[in-house]
Amino acid sequence: MTTENSWPSPEWDLFGAIGLLRPGGVDTLHGLRRPAFATRLFQGMVRRLAGTGAPPTEVGSRALSAPPVERTADVTVLGAGAAGRAVVDALVARGLRPVVLERALRTPPVPGAELFSATTAVFLPPPADAGERPFTILAFREPAQGFRIGTRAVVLATGRYDASLLFAGNDRPGVVSADAAIALSQAPRSPPFRRAVVVGGDRRVAEVLAACGGSVDAVVAPGEIRPEVVRAANDLGVLLYPRSLLLRANGRHRVRSVRIRARGGGAEATVSCDAVVLAHRRIPHAQLFFQAGAKMEWRPGPGAYAPVVRADGRTSVPGLFAAGAVAGVPPSDYARHAEALGDSLLRGTDRSEPPPAAAVAEAPTELLGYYRELLRIPGHGRWTACPCVDVLVSEVERAHRSGYRGIEVVKRVTGLGTGICQGRYCLPDALLLLSILEDRPPPQVGYITQRPPVVPTPLAALAALPTPSPAEVVP
Amino acid sequence: MTFSRDSYRVTIVGAGIVGLFTAYHLARAGAGPVLVVDKGFLSSGASGRNGGGVRQQWETRSTVRLARESVRAYRRFGIEFGFNIWFRQTGYLFLAESPAELERLRSVHTLVASEGLSSRVLDASGVASLVEGIAPGAALGGTYLATDGTLYPFPVIWGAYEAARSLGVEVALGVEALGVGTDDGRVRGLVTSDGSVATPTVVNAAGGWSGDFSRRCGLDVPNVATRHEILATEATKPFLDPMVVRVSDGLYFSQTMRGEIVGGLALPHRPGTSAGLGSSPEFLTTMARALVGLLPRLGSMGVIRAWSGYYDDTPDGFPVIGEDPRLRGFVHANGFGGHGFMLAPAASRRVALAALGQPTDLDPSQFSPARFREPTARTAVERLQLG
Repeated sequence: MTTENSWPSPEWDLFGAIGLLRPGGVDTLHGLRRPAFATRLFQGMVRRLAGTGAPPTEVGSRALSAPPVERTADVTVLGAGAAGRAVVDALVARGLRPVVLERALRTPPVPGAELFSATTAVFLPPPADAGERPFTILAFREPAQGFRIGTRAVVLATGRYDASLLFAGNDRPGVVSADAAIALSQAPRSPPFRRAVVVGGDRRVAEVLAACGGSVDAVVAPGEIRPEVVRAANDLGVLLYPRSLLLRANGRHRVRSVRIRARGGGAEATVSCDAVVLAHRRIPHAQLFFQAGAKMEWRPGPGAYAPVVRADGRTSVPGLFAAGAVAGVPPSDYARHAEALGDSLLRGTDRSEPPPAAAVAEAPTELLGYYRELLRIPGHGRWTACPCVDVLVSEVERAHRSGYRGIEVVKRVTGLGTGICQGRYCLPDALLLLSILEDRPPPQVGYITQRPPVVPTPLAALAALPTPSPAEVVP
Repeated sequence: MTFSRDSYRVTIVGAGIVGLFTAYHLARAGAGPVLVVDKGFLSSGASGRNGGGVRQQWETRSTVRLARESVRAYRRFGIEFGFNIWFRQTGYLFLAESPAELERLRSVHTLVASEGLSSRVLDASGVASLVEGIAPGAALGGTYLATDGTLYPFPVIWGAYEAARSLGVEVALGVEALGVGTDDGRVRGLVTSDGSVATPTVVNAAGGWSGDFSRRCGLDVPNVATRHEILATEATKPFLDPMVVRVSDGLYFSQTMRGEIVGGLALPHRPGTSAGLGSSPEFLTTMARALVGLLPRLGSMGVIRAWSGYYDDTPDGFPVIGEDPRLRGFVHANGFGGHGFMLAPAASRRVALAALGQPTDLDPSQFSPARFREPTARTAVERLQLG
């Protein structure tokens, strides 16, 4: 095993001693900078530890080369979930044949559309000023096939994802999102867990219970638990812990139990389990809206940004539409909304300003109060705020103490949000954390620019895409 | 009013590397109250958007000397400012694809070596030994200087910011400089989005926005902001030591201490600051093709982030440092052409002297704002505006 980040071997990892000696992490920003020879030694060691896996090989890279896909389309729909399908149905009924991209590896056919599954749209720049097809979409199909799509209109039905939660050991194996738990429960093999603790108290928890209720032991909720969840839990014999702080996931190699405490200073308890399923908060997949330059608004419910969407799915960018959960449309309304969207899309570029869509009724999140209480717990500084880059809560607090304000600056000081997920995982919590530290509402903490690509995109996929005209290249 | 005083000895527009280092040197010299304003957040401009390359290989002696002095300053930075900037002297490798390019690099080598730096001219096999896995025939040869290197730009800014503030410099972020107040052909004050202050000296260190600011103050300057794009890949086990720069298309890339490949290349973009700081599909595909063509093993690496920043370009490739002859008290510290990090530690010492009305050792025909007024005054051109 030469590919592991351990030395000399995964069994005897001497560098692991750093974690034992400095459980609060090593301050690489201020520390280890003198004298010069020590700096060189340290840099050599870091160089040895940096990165993951093995250096890339030419053989491995060549195996990825695949002919690129170029398409032009009237309408491109991103996302083939229930909302995306409803939009396709409405468009097909109006005589259009949209191109559909879907990230999931296996996707049922979408009648009337050209479907590319296992394909992720990674870049949607603002539309060009002129031309028949002002939008360009860059995408790639696993493992590395490049896509470039020129299109007249784009419908984003990108849905939502389950957010993370700050607690000790939140990076332990066995801590999973509700998305992952539901997907794993549908896979044709033995369940990945048998005695899970589900975190959350609203409809999302009911969905987890419906999918894998037999493998759930308890529900821990930051706030109240909705009656429908209580009923479902009672039917399954699942224990309920409403208004509880999740303090810690125990277990070295995998979660074995969680430590919880009743909100407002109640008694502590240990609940044994083999997984923690995070179902407390869902965040819109909004990166492509940011990229395209759509006007965004802060939604206090999920505590996240979402596009400003009209009742017929239009965004502030002409030709760019939103459908489904990312537009705040409930599932029962997908079909009706898709019809309105289809009519609006066929009408063409209407630049008039219609009244905005009705505000979406969403349960107000109690997470800010929850975190305020959680962050008073001694030792919270050692919790992981950003697992991609291994940033601890204490590093964020130290940056705050040094006078750095706003998420853009704290991101650059700590490295938080600069790893492979580009902040999708850590940013929702980081905004709340900074909001508490800086004592101002989360929207005033700012937001980090959502840069392309949305997910890591192999250079081979991008390199295979057609050359821009020679005039565009500087000699 | 955001400011703690009504008047300052020196006000500086731009809290990037040039502005902050200048403020630091002014404060160390006991210049009196210094104010720095910036319309963005700390590191929101080119100082937080560059690839971290620091090199001493240039086509003109004056630039080589400023760069050499800056490298020395970066070697001491950790001790002096208390921040680890990950400065790593693992060399800069310039690649030539044609005999003409190699000849050009050879003359760079001659100049650099004559300044006492141990530059080397390499043939194709010498290049291949420094860049493991380079495509056969991708380079005819090149030049290499082992004491060039890369650093992590952000801690340089934090270090300069905290040091300047601890010496009493006031830094107002989110405050835009709107113009200067003048009287009898000299600066009397600075007008900002948060009100005006009295000052006899305004330093324009606004990077990509410096041309806009000078023109707003009624000064016609030739600075042009050009957008340059850059990308970073996911981290992998380190395998590449030097910064690699290709002369033909300006391709440059290096591997950071975290293991990411970071680099860019020159594409034509609309000049000026109005086009904004986005990314383009053309850049992503062209850059990917250049990287994979040169180093095929990079194909499997995923791009995680692309962004852009402004180069503040001048017609002759030299920065503009010194008082504007048309407006006394208006001091230029701009036009670094995307190479502010390579020159700022040395250049900002001179800016601080100029701001106090003291003479500097800079050749006026290469650095003074007056050189653009009479074309015959210009004696040299710095064309190695790459990487």
